[in-house]
Amino acid sequence: MLRAANPEERPQPPKRNRAWAILTIIFFIGPAMYGFGTKFYELVRVFQGDPAGAFAVTPIVNYLLASFGFVLLFGWAARNGMFRDIECPKFEMLENERRLDTLER
Amino acid sequence: MNASVVETSQASEPLVDIDRLVDRRIVLWYYFAALTYMVISMLGGLLMALQLVRWNELQGIEHLSPGRWRMVHTNAIAYGFLANAFLGTLHWAIPRLTMRPVLNKGLSYLIFTAWQIVVLATAGGILLGHAQAVEWGETPVWIDPVAQLGLLLVAINFMAPIMSSRGPMYVSLWYFMAAFVWTFLTYAMGNFIPQYVVCGTNAGAIAGLFIHDLVGLFVTPFGWGLMYYFVPILLKKPIWSHGLSLVGFWGLAFFYPLQGIHHFLYTPIPMFLQYGAVISTIAVEFVVATVIVNFFGTLYGSGRELTTNIPLRWFYTGMILYFVTCFQCALQVTLTFQALIHFTDWVVGHAHLVMFGVFSQWLMGIMTYLIPRLSGKPWYSRKLCEWHYWLSVVGIVVMFTDLTLAGLFQGWSWAGMQYWDHSTQVSEPFWIVRVFAGLSMFGGILVFIYNIFRTLTGPSAAAVEASVPTAI
Repeated sequence: MLRAANPEERPQPPKRNRAWAILTIIFFIGPAMYGFGTKFYELVRVFQGDPAGAFAVTPIVNYLLASFGFVLLFGWAARNGMFRDIECPKFEMLENERRLDTLER
Repeated sequence: MNASVVETSQASEPLVDIDRLVDRRIVLWYYFAALTYMVISMLGGLLMALQLVRWNELQGIEHLSPGRWRMVHTNAIAYGFLANAFLGTLHWAIPRLTMRPVLNKGLSYLIFTAWQIVVLATAGGILLGHAQAVEWGETPVWIDPVAQLGLLLVAINFMAPIMSSRGPMYVSLWYFMAAFVWTFLTYAMGNFIPQYVVCGTNAGAIAGLFIHDLVGLFVTPFGWGLMYYFVPILLKKPIWSHGLSLVGFWGLAFFYPLQGIHHFLYTPIPMFLQYGAVISTIAVEFVVATVIVNFFGTLYGSGRELTTNIPLRWFYTGMILYFVTCFQCALQVTLTFQALIHFTDWVVGHAHLVMFGVFSQWLMGIMTYLIPRLSGKPWYSRKLCEWHYWLSVVGIVVMFTDLTLAGLFQGWSWAGMQYWDHSTQVSEPFWIVRVFAGLSMFGGILVFIYNIFRTLTGPSAAAVEASVPTAI
């Protein structure tokens, strides 16, 4: 039977992985946030300068609300260990399915 | 321990009664409803195809005019076939994934009945001329609150087992959970905001988001969630990488919602928003690539299964066509390409490829796998299952290729500043081919329905086994 491993027994990620994460933030996420920020500023200026431009706000607000919800969900999932033993659920699912099939027969 | 009770893989989890886990009858009822609407939708498509080759036997009957039939065609496939087939399959998949039944069996039957009323009332309302001015959201305004309530009840009924499960969730459950929320919000956005809150270009932008989100946030997560469940089961091995599957899920969550504006390239919407939609669409192509790699990585070493396992063949055919349709998306959203193909039959071919070639085919595969299990009877004829597959696949591939070419010819005709009539004359041979391609797909569905009828009225699996001489 497959079980999730004890988090305390799990080896810590090597330093190399941490370095990759920092590099990713510097080279990808940072510029992406800068790009998004400037475009959002442009949107606010459109909204302020031209009342008719307000229609552009609706789809953006839709997107931001949806994404904000998913950022919260992502944080909740990470905090609750949903991404620990990340390959475990695929084995567990097959094991449960096998036992259900056996009982059906 | 009772023989019908199974303990879940985590020792602290409650015991599950296998007999109460899945309500097989409601799954079958949903499939019957889905196939009925598929026939209605295909009849609508056939009438439209005949109209284009100037053979409309219903000419002059206002309530059965081509414009209204076309709306019945698209609504019946989305809310009639896809929604019913998804709901039926979820009644099988979610209890087995979570080891818990849905919240309330009575609620399931209430939702089933209410949903059929919604779909029939939508079709009736459209034929009577009560359509709402939102593409693919033509549901009459007096039906919208009922449909919205129905979607809320669906979410409550299925979320209960998902939320009460413990530990890291399997990727299918992530997709399903998100789909319940997205579908509810998308329906509200498309059917209420343009009607009551905003107007003009703003309403147009919302309608564009709605039509695209209906594909990406309703159909896609349910479809992929079910593939992540059924493919490993049929191959009897786990998905290649569960981590990669989660990358696909979160990628869809963050990149997809901004895409809808790509329906409005060259409109008064500010260019930075249009570019944002183009970039997010191309970003989704990378997400799609992770999903495709994952499923073909899973198939690696088991490719021979595709020749013998018909449901699996349906699934992987749909995946190949999914990749084709997403590749098309990446081309279509570029401004240069959009200028050529906008308003042409290319778009119609693209829509048919994704709705029939991908998601309907996946659901056909699921039905092919589940119907013998649900009924306890083997297929009446495996040969008819093969006919169903080949008629459908050949039909959709011919239709897609035909309409794609027609779209290019139409686009070039308009770009060449030819008369409008020139583009329709160029299109006529393609429209004739389209009729025959549609007939092939329709024939496949009729063969499938006949096979189901003979299966359900035939002997049970036990009786078949008993009649086979033991020497064989």
